[in-house]
Amino acid sequence: MTASPVPPSGDFPAFASYRLEQSGHGRLQFTGTDGVVHDNVDVIHAFPVSAPQGAVAIIAADGTELAWINSLETAPEPLRKTLERELSVREFLPVIERIEGVSDGEPADWNVATDRGPRRFKVAHTDDIIRCGDDSALITDTDGIRYRIPALARLTARERHLIDKAT
Amino acid sequence: MLASCRFDLDAALRFADGWIVLTPHRLLSDDPATGRPPPDGCPLQWPVDATTELDVHLRAAVGRIELLQAGRVAVQWRFTAARSKGVHALEDAFDQMVHGRPEAEAPRPGEAARPIAAPPSKALDDEDGETGPRASWKSLIRLTAFARPYLGMAVVGGLLSLASTAAALVPPYLTMPLVDRVLIPRQQGSPVPFSAVWWYLGGLLLAATLAWLLSWARTWTLAWVSERIAANLRVSTYAHLQSLSLDFFSGKRTGDLMTRVGNDTDRINLFLSVNVLTFVSDVLLVALTAVVLVTLNPLLAAVTLVPFPFVVWLAYTVRARLRGGFSRASIAWADMTSVLADTIPGIRVVKAFAQEHREIERFKAANDRVLDANDRVNVTWSFFGPLVSLFSELGTLVVWAAGAWLVFGGTVTVGGLTAFLAYITRFYTRVESMIHMVPATQRAAASAQRIFDILDCRPTVAEPPHPVPLGTVRGRIEIDGVHFRYGSREILHGIDLTIEPGEMVGLVGTSGSGKSTLANLVCRFYDPSSGSIRIDGIDLKDVSIEEYRSNLGCVLQEPFLFFGTVAENITYGCPDASRDRIVAAARAAGAHEFILALPAAYDSRIGERGGSLSGGERQRLSIARALLVDPRILILDEATSSVDVETEAAIQAAIDRLVTGRTTIAIAHRLSTLRRADRIVVLDSGRIVESGSHDALLAAGGAYSRLYHAQSKEADQPAAIS
Repeated sequence: MTASPVPPSGDFPAFASYRLEQSGHGRLQFTGTDGVVHDNVDVIHAFPVSAPQGAVAIIAADGTELAWINSLETAPEPLRKTLERELSVREFLPVIERIEGVSDGEPADWNVATDRGPRRFKVAHTDDIIRCGDDSALITDTDGIRYRIPALARLTARERHLIDKAT
Repeated sequence: MLASCRFDLDAALRFADGWIVLTPHRLLSDDPATGRPPPDGCPLQWPVDATTELDVHLRAAVGRIELLQAGRVAVQWRFTAARSKGVHALEDAFDQMVHGRPEAEAPRPGEAARPIAAPPSKALDDEDGETGPRASWKSLIRLTAFARPYLGMAVVGGLLSLASTAAALVPPYLTMPLVDRVLIPRQQGSPVPFSAVWWYLGGLLLAATLAWLLSWARTWTLAWVSERIAANLRVSTYAHLQSLSLDFFSGKRTGDLMTRVGNDTDRINLFLSVNVLTFVSDVLLVALTAVVLVTLNPLLAAVTLVPFPFVVWLAYTVRARLRGGFSRASIAWADMTSVLADTIPGIRVVKAFAQEHREIERFKAANDRVLDANDRVNVTWSFFGPLVSLFSELGTLVVWAAGAWLVFGGTVTVGGLTAFLAYITRFYTRVESMIHMVPATQRAAASAQRIFDILDCRPTVAEPPHPVPLGTVRGRIEIDGVHFRYGSREILHGIDLTIEPGEMVGLVGTSGSGKSTLANLVCRFYDPSSGSIRIDGIDLKDVSIEEYRSNLGCVLQEPFLFFGTVAENITYGCPDASRDRIVAAARAAGAHEFILALPAAYDSRIGERGGSLSGGERQRLSIARALLVDPRILILDEATSSVDVETEAAIQAAIDRLVTGRTTIAIAHRLSTLRRADRIVVLDSGRIVESGSHDALLAAGGAYSRLYHAQSKEADQPAAIS
């Protein structure tokens, strides 16, 4: 199966029949099969954590769904580039490379080094630290910004101790 | 005997206590006039055949039972509501016997007297108050069943205890020759070389090291075992809770159950790992010390042990006093937890009504009861603890006195006396520590009792011993003469209803008419008191509950979301569903677009804390959950009643998709929800009063049309309402 544009249910157009382009000011413009142009559309990962290479939806500004791409991995080339660029902006997800310290108590102060530079943030509750099945972890701070730890196994013993203490 | 019950009033409505017993051909009873056996001691008898009837009337708190023979009242008994369950059970057994039910359906003896849907919770609470000594030992002994898998390790632990205790007894034994053969001869001028001291010191060091190593191994081993027993107990209790029927939970406070699974198992763990361990080594040490003392000098040993019986007597007294105290403390603690479990989920109501202070007061009151219960225990304990110390001090004093006298008499050496004193100090230290075991035992026994109370509850909806496989369910539901009684109240009075595969039946009626009860019976959350429900011709009672429910989808008025992601909540009934199917179900439920708007779409966390979803959104998630299971039978219990009209339209579209091709029972207050129903059944006080299509019922002008017109009038004048 190639990049099947047919969603599990519902009627959404095939790739060839719509266009997704960058308009001015970094906005995305969607031109549907019917020729109707939607400006300022949004691209959303359906499963950003559990399947980051999986399904993506294109959503109009009012929240209605315009198109559904079953798998990012198998999407045809120009579309895929556009989608990935958009997603990387939309999904600001710094990767934690080093944990300097985690304070006791709730909220806990985290002091980390990320791929986007050093950062201090607060985590309100242990529930905001989610261990995913693939040994990665996702941390949401009190402002709703999420951070990712790609591989818990690769942390140092001290860092793991800090996380264990926090969870 | 088929069934029996007690009646507690005589003919003049004075309290009495008499029995009625039903046998296959007779009804036997004490004298209904007096509530006592007749003077000759033979119970009164009435023949029972097809012409006899048993009528039970219960008005308010007092009822009467009448035995009718050929339409005439042959005899009459009186009873209070306290006996109503037993009486109704007798009535059921009577009806089943007389009115020609097949033999197989007749209740087994002993079971008949048991109320069918009585909440077992009451018995559970009552027993808490009185954890008698026998019960406490029994429940502790029952704990050993959970230790069986670790028997090997437990035996190793026991042997290690013995060895380490023996090693601990060696040092005083070595001090005796050290004093008698080295120190005293040296003091008196004998040329004993100092190297002799080294030998004894070496021996003492070796014994101490050995004792340390052995007790290390022992502590670890026994802690390992007890940790596993407690873990085993926790999982067993939780698994058993999951197997219990809904009526158990409706009568229970969440906090109390949480305390039992959490605290009580932990307390048992502590008891096994710390207290039992100490106790075993104490007993061993006391016994071994006693042996050593007797071999050293029987006379001195006898004198030494004089205070011992007093200590034992004290322990016994303390135990009796503490027993009640600890179980009161345990109950107080559970009450306190219940306040928490009650108010934290209901915090919005608390705040909305500005009742924070009252809740704080309520918690404070519960906390004060905990404090009070603990204070009482402490008063007893703080008095008796030091008293035991006093006795052991006295014991040492006695040894000094007797020892000095014997040394003067020349029968005991100074070294012997020193060793004796060393032993006796150990002896009483251990006796004291054994006394500490008393409260610990009582506490653990109370905890064990509370856990076994749960483990002993049997699910009222029982799994059949030999379930009939359902195979592919077509979805034909036959409800045949179903009565349902909850406690002493009969809620359904003979419901007959057949629903064809794929048919949608709407249940309509005022609240309390029995709609939800009927749906609960179809879900098999309860069993009918009499009559049967068949699925594709198989009695529900003969089908494995789990297999049946896997064919069942429920959308309830209050959709419950678990803590987890959106995707996890949708796949709750079907954890292996692919992402495509999740999305398809969400689309069909009209949930897809609002899910995409969440911060992490399908991977967003929801549930308890992240409960930022609206009622309609939650409802659509629960519809997606039901859709994913692809059930043959669907129960919609007021699925749209908690959402506004606009959202209802969106949910209605989702429900229409859900209903297609499935046998559906839909309960609704809002009749517009039922526009797609093939048939509408109107219930009133537990009976079907009307049944037919929407149009036919409207035309008939009965209860349904009255309800319908009342609602459309309401809908026409929304301004007047708001």
